[in-house]
Amino acid sequence: MTADNMDRKRGIYIHMPFCVQKCRYCAFLSFDAEGSPRKEYTDALEKEIRLRAELEKKNGTDKRIDTIYIGGGTPSVMDIASMSEMVKTLKNSFDVEPDAEFTLEANPATLGRKDGVMLAKLQAYKFMGVNRLSMGVQSMDNDRLHYLGRIHTAENVARDMDIIRRKGFGNVNLDLMFSVPGESGDDALSDLEKILAFAPEHISCYSLQIEEGTPFGEMAESGELTEVPDEEDRETYHRICRRLSEAGYEHYEISNFARKGEDPGAPSPYRSRHNSLYWNMDEYIGLGLGASGFVNGVRYKNTSDLEEYLSALDAGRLPLEEEHKNTAFDNISEAVFTGLRRREGVRYEDAVRAYIDTDDAGKKNLTSYADFRDCFWEIFAEAKEEAFGYAGKGLLTIDNDGLKLTEQGIDISNSIMSLFV
Amino acid sequence: MSYLDNIRNFSIIAHIDHGKSTLADRLIEKTGLVEARDMKEQYLDNMDIERERGITIKLQTTRLQYRAKDGQDYILNLIDTPGHVDFNYEVSRSLAACDGAVLVVDATQGVEAQTLGNVYLALDEDLEILPVLNKMDLDSARPDDARAEIEDIIGLDASEAPEISAKTGMGIDEMLEKLIEVIPPPQGDPDGKLKALIFDSYYDSYKGVIIYTRIFDGRVKRGDTIRMMNTGKNYEVTEVGYCIPGTVPADELKAGEVGYICGSIKQVADARVGDTITLANAPADAPLKGYKKAQSMVYCGIFPAEGEKYENVKDALEKLQVNDAAFNFEPENSAALGYGYRCGFLGLLHMDVITERLAREFDLDVITTLPSVVYKVVMKDGEVLDIQNPSNLPAPALIAHIEEPIVKADIMTPNEYVGSIMTLCQNRRGNMIHMEYLTKTRVQLHYEMPLNEVIYDFFDALKSRTRGYASLDYEFLRYQPAKLVKLDILLNREPIDALSTIVPEEEAMAKGRGICEKLKEIIPRHQFEVPIQAAIGQKIIARETVRAYRKDVLAKCYGGDITRKKKLLEKQKAGKKRMRQFGSVTVPQEAFTEVLKLDDGR
Repeated sequence: MTADNMDRKRGIYIHMPFCVQKCRYCAFLSFDAEGSPRKEYTDALEKEIRLRAELEKKNGTDKRIDTIYIGGGTPSVMDIASMSEMVKTLKNSFDVEPDAEFTLEANPATLGRKDGVMLAKLQAYKFMGVNRLSMGVQSMDNDRLHYLGRIHTAENVARDMDIIRRKGFGNVNLDLMFSVPGESGDDALSDLEKILAFAPEHISCYSLQIEEGTPFGEMAESGELTEVPDEEDRETYHRICRRLSEAGYEHYEISNFARKGEDPGAPSPYRSRHNSLYWNMDEYIGLGLGASGFVNGVRYKNTSDLEEYLSALDAGRLPLEEEHKNTAFDNISEAVFTGLRRREGVRYEDAVRAYIDTDDAGKKNLTSYADFRDCFWEIFAEAKEEAFGYAGKGLLTIDNDGLKLTEQGIDISNSIMSLFV
Repeated sequence: MSYLDNIRNFSIIAHIDHGKSTLADRLIEKTGLVEARDMKEQYLDNMDIERERGITIKLQTTRLQYRAKDGQDYILNLIDTPGHVDFNYEVSRSLAACDGAVLVVDATQGVEAQTLGNVYLALDEDLEILPVLNKMDLDSARPDDARAEIEDIIGLDASEAPEISAKTGMGIDEMLEKLIEVIPPPQGDPDGKLKALIFDSYYDSYKGVIIYTRIFDGRVKRGDTIRMMNTGKNYEVTEVGYCIPGTVPADELKAGEVGYICGSIKQVADARVGDTITLANAPADAPLKGYKKAQSMVYCGIFPAEGEKYENVKDALEKLQVNDAAFNFEPENSAALGYGYRCGFLGLLHMDVITERLAREFDLDVITTLPSVVYKVVMKDGEVLDIQNPSNLPAPALIAHIEEPIVKADIMTPNEYVGSIMTLCQNRRGNMIHMEYLTKTRVQLHYEMPLNEVIYDFFDALKSRTRGYASLDYEFLRYQPAKLVKLDILLNREPIDALSTIVPEEEAMAKGRGICEKLKEIIPRHQFEVPIQAAIGQKIIARETVRAYRKDVLAKCYGGDITRKKKLLEKQKAGKKRMRQFGSVTVPQEAFTEVLKLDDGR
């Protein structure tokens, strides 16, 4: 392990699979909050937290925790009391950095009906250590919100943001969804303007993906729903990118934008540190139903079956569904395709280190950037011609340090990434 | 009394699905040659593909022993026949080896087109025919109707036809007794000059080609030098014997008997079905009649798919050819698909079987191109060319006219479907010769149709329009001039030779449009616009465009599920491997076969 790696920190992801109501496009794990065993779930989570922590300590592989991300589902529908217990357990079990980034996903209109309740709830999150909120706004058009199956309105968003700011949360992400059937590019830009009015520190923009097995998926199949044509979708995306750049946001990942700090030349202080772990081949412990983790070179995924999750932890077992020890090639391959999601791209050196640092992948005497570059293209010899083909078309930038997608290249990022798997 | 009196050589003839193979199984079981535990479903159909499709392609022959009620032991040589229109010649040679035939009629279905076709073939060989009614264990059996149909349509007396169930074994003994009574013993002179009919052969890696034969006159034993009378080739006999089933050596085979001969023969084409074997030092005066060279009716290109080795394809085709005299191939070079082979088949089923065996038995990944028939191209200078590959069609200016093969198609159907069949045949350029009522409810339609129209999906279309009730039989009739043109397909303005077809002029427009539309669905979007054009010569007759730019971006890795994302990328990469690159256009390999499935509702 290199000195560089010693300093690397871990993140923790916790999944809360409950929602007030499932959105019509959603293919992720979630259950109706009402009538679901929420208390049993957080109890089980606490057990999983302790099991994981003990295991890491026993193996001597425990590391300091730099980010915590509670996602869902809708974590804000969870009872404050049990959330607070769980977070206590988390902090007692792991060595969490004092300045760790602690994100909680919240949906508008789930923080409480009365202002007083909202303020108290937000206060409770503050006590827990939450310092970043991620709000699933998605749209500022009430008809479209209704069509998506969201439970909130644009007015709810305005009120929530007002109270969040009053409570002093200075790092807020707002999610914006575009290419909803029937939505024009102008509609999307108008949504964006309304979101910019809240001056969020971070904006996540992504186009609606119609997934099989969702109500939207069925509607698409029956012809009831017509997807926005790709050309329009991409045009809207690039318009959004341009507008956000003008508005002083840094486009640091395919769908993520962070408001620039005082030094516009430096990377924004509002980049999501947690999500950046995923794109940097850093480690994260996944906890909760269906959660994924990457620890000690192993990628794992928890069971997606709620019953099984609860009973495994009841029996004192980790609720694992699959575990995969990454090979050297897995590591470099993941380093490349996750790295390409970042606007900075992936450096040959980082990618090659992900490879040669893996167990027996062989220590090579690599020092200069040219060594790393040559080693990289040796490993991906098969992809080289096509990669340079993409570069020739202005979709990929290849230089002495590494590769990155151009803004046009993002549109076909999967084609380019798939060269490296 | 001669040994000949205790031999019966017979075939079972039936329409597909009427229970021929099941009956053969029952006979083998009944006569105790195969232990019950060794019985596979349909013993004689020994290829998986045959068993799956319920059809027999490769013949099997079996020598059965049966003690009849008269106390005598009989040798019953059951000679199996392939059950499909593509193999009519092979059927006729098998029948020629027999003295009689058992006609199996499904008592729930009655007489069908192939029943009649096979009966006619049997009558041409002068065979006694014993009709039997099968599937009598089913409630839906209607033996009286079936009997009436046999009498009305075929003209055989069916009043004493045994009622059997090949499935349950019911009535099999009665049938065997009747068989001995009705089918005559063979005739022949064991001391005459050797005349033996080859009715099948297959390649065995130890013994070389094993010839199935019926001895008409004379005798043959190990050490004899035999001569194939039509090909003129000589071989030394290494073994003779009986098929019981399998090969059991015997001292000799003599007139009237059925058995096998081995002679270190390298490939089945050297022991062509229908040829006559005689002795080199005492040859017969003339061969048995009826020999025909194998003639391919349908051709297609077979190319190694991306990542498949040309050599592997070649090896596999050679191995298949060793065992299939009707299959031939020669190297072909396509600008689009590279090096491959042009392969000739008896018909579409034969082609299907071969391509499926390539995939299954040889685990090969191949691309098959559009099937084509053989056109006679009459040039202005009087020369006549046989063209089966559209790419080889000379420039239109040099051609006087083109002739295409016409088949005689007989379709038998319940009368309520006559209308829709007539529409179908009309759309396929069929010309009705006449129509006859076989019974009050069954009709036979006689058509003359271009073979080209039959080879694609005519049979499927016929079945789907008649809920499976209509049956088809066809045979080559003649060549006939037709207004045909070569339809080229261009991708990004480059002609793709493997997608060219020869089509009737009046249908070119519709066909071209259909293929373009289909390709538009199949070809993925590129970063540039890809025009798909159909052209006759320089003239573009249809055009579609695959719009540029395919969005290919996934927004999020939820909760860090990198593994899921990776699986998606791996799948995408694997999908790309199945693509072909034509200049800058990427085409999935399915395109070449998918355009075949042009369901234009005709």
